[in-house]
Amino acid sequence: MRRRKRYEAILNTALCFCALIILIPVFMVIINSFKNQTEAARMNLKLPTTWHIFENYKEMIREGGIFRGFLNSTIITVICVLLLIILCSTMAFVLERRKTFFSKLIHMTVVFGLVLPLQIIPTYFVCNFLHLTHEIAAVFVLIVANMSFTVFLYTGFIKSIPIEIDESAWIDGASHTQLFFRIIFPLLQPVTVTAVIINFMAVWNDFGISIYFLNSARNYTLPLTVYNFFGNHNSDWQLVFANVVLSTLPVAIVYLILQRHIISGMTSGAVKG
Amino acid sequence: MHSTTLKRYSYTLAIPGLLLYILFFIIPAVGGLALSFVKILGFNLSSARFGGLQNYVDVFTQPNMRRAIGNSFIFALVTTIFKMGIGLSLAIALNRKMALTNALRTVFFLPAVINTVAVGLIFSSLLHPSNGLVNGFLRAVGLGGLAQSWLVDTNLAIFSVCAIEIWKWSGFTMVILLSGMQTIGRDYYEAAEIDGADGVTRFKYITFPLLLPAFNNALILSIIGGLKVFDLIQATTQGGPGSATEVFGTLIYKSFGAGRLGEGCAASIILAVVIAGIALPAYKYIANREVEM
Repeated sequence: MRRRKRYEAILNTALCFCALIILIPVFMVIINSFKNQTEAARMNLKLPTTWHIFENYKEMIREGGIFRGFLNSTIITVICVLLLIILCSTMAFVLERRKTFFSKLIHMTVVFGLVLPLQIIPTYFVCNFLHLTHEIAAVFVLIVANMSFTVFLYTGFIKSIPIEIDESAWIDGASHTQLFFRIIFPLLQPVTVTAVIINFMAVWNDFGISIYFLNSARNYTLPLTVYNFFGNHNSDWQLVFANVVLSTLPVAIVYLILQRHIISGMTSGAVKG
Repeated sequence: MHSTTLKRYSYTLAIPGLLLYILFFIIPAVGGLALSFVKILGFNLSSARFGGLQNYVDVFTQPNMRRAIGNSFIFALVTTIFKMGIGLSLAIALNRKMALTNALRTVFFLPAVINTVAVGLIFSSLLHPSNGLVNGFLRAVGLGGLAQSWLVDTNLAIFSVCAIEIWKWSGFTMVILLSGMQTIGRDYYEAAEIDGADGVTRFKYITFPLLLPAFNNALILSIIGGLKVFDLIQATTQGGPGSATEVFGTLIYKSFGAGRLGEGCAASIILAVVIAGIALPAYKYIANREVEM
């Protein structure tokens, strides 16, 4: 028993050390965003000798276009997540319920997108050909990039909804749209919450796709403003750190409030498979 | 009966989604294959001429390309091994009831929600050769000899980038494995205890086999994610110094930026083939060995 207690104590200490590996960099960024230029360039963990909270953040906000980025990120993320939920839940419903050879084939093709990477250059051609603006192209490509997983998630859940529910609604005279939106969609609520979380995180934090499509300070999302801010200010570490802190803050706050939902939501697809 | 079922689940509901998928995934996938055999200047389709395998030859003869293939594999392999190892160790350590568990889980998962560019910048600072915290720490504990120019040294840079990825995603792997462990029934362990099985035996014969589905998913996710990596590299080294951290993703981005679109498509197709070639058999092989719950 005593040996077990000692073992637990050692294990807990080791775990806390691991936690420090995560927390020290976070602390370093925050504390250095409060320093003046020369002190911040040393990038150590000491407290600042003089605090420059307001100057740093004010200057960074003035030059970094961070509010514009926040606004763009919010608009793009909200549109993408809403469309993903509606498009993918309906697709999953039809493809799962039809059970014909053709519908299974389509379903397989859609889910295959989980493995296959998006062919970004030809996608750019398509957007060019359709004369889409950069913002709309980014929205469509971000939707398609997250579609396979969302459909996959919904299909798994729809399988567990008894088909008798559909039949009784059909007999009561519901049309196929009524059947889906009035009866089925409300039942999908748990998986919808998960899908919202996963897609929100994926779109909000996206950099790999948006860097191809968003190309001016006017349409940059938050990750792109941070990327470009560093490009222009790579010797002003205090401003870079302030930029990192402020751009990460919204998502960090949401994470701390909803941590349990976010953790289980982001990993749920990989647990059951 | 069958026709009412089909009417009840009419495709009209699915068409908007399918249309987007066809337009922005299927057509680009097929078009990408076609474009990879075409010599084209910028986005001017009228300049397109059939080039046969020329793009593939160009891609393979570029010195950057060999570096990119090698680096993509190194990145996928190294990050997968460490993410799975660290994730599994943390999951085992946290799979018990104690006050700290929740707080630690929250901390370990935190890097997964921070955007990659911010993480890249944080590590550009931490790994700074002269002032970075990592070298500062090594010097402070008397291991100054181990201090390195992490992201600048051409031999080391790819491993430094791997370390960043491991830092960001180990907690994510841990949560997947932890949730997998928590679905395993207590009675298995009680029965094992009665039979006198010790901790290692219990892990080997109960935990691990029943954890395999979650383990496989995490493994496949990690391998695919590793081969596809682009954003982290772009945010830290942009493939440099020289071509030291070049991967498929940065190579495609560079061909795109330089207007060498055919080559970019060829590189993209090679990546897709590599991923499909690795992920599908790996998944099938491992899935066959799963234990039925």
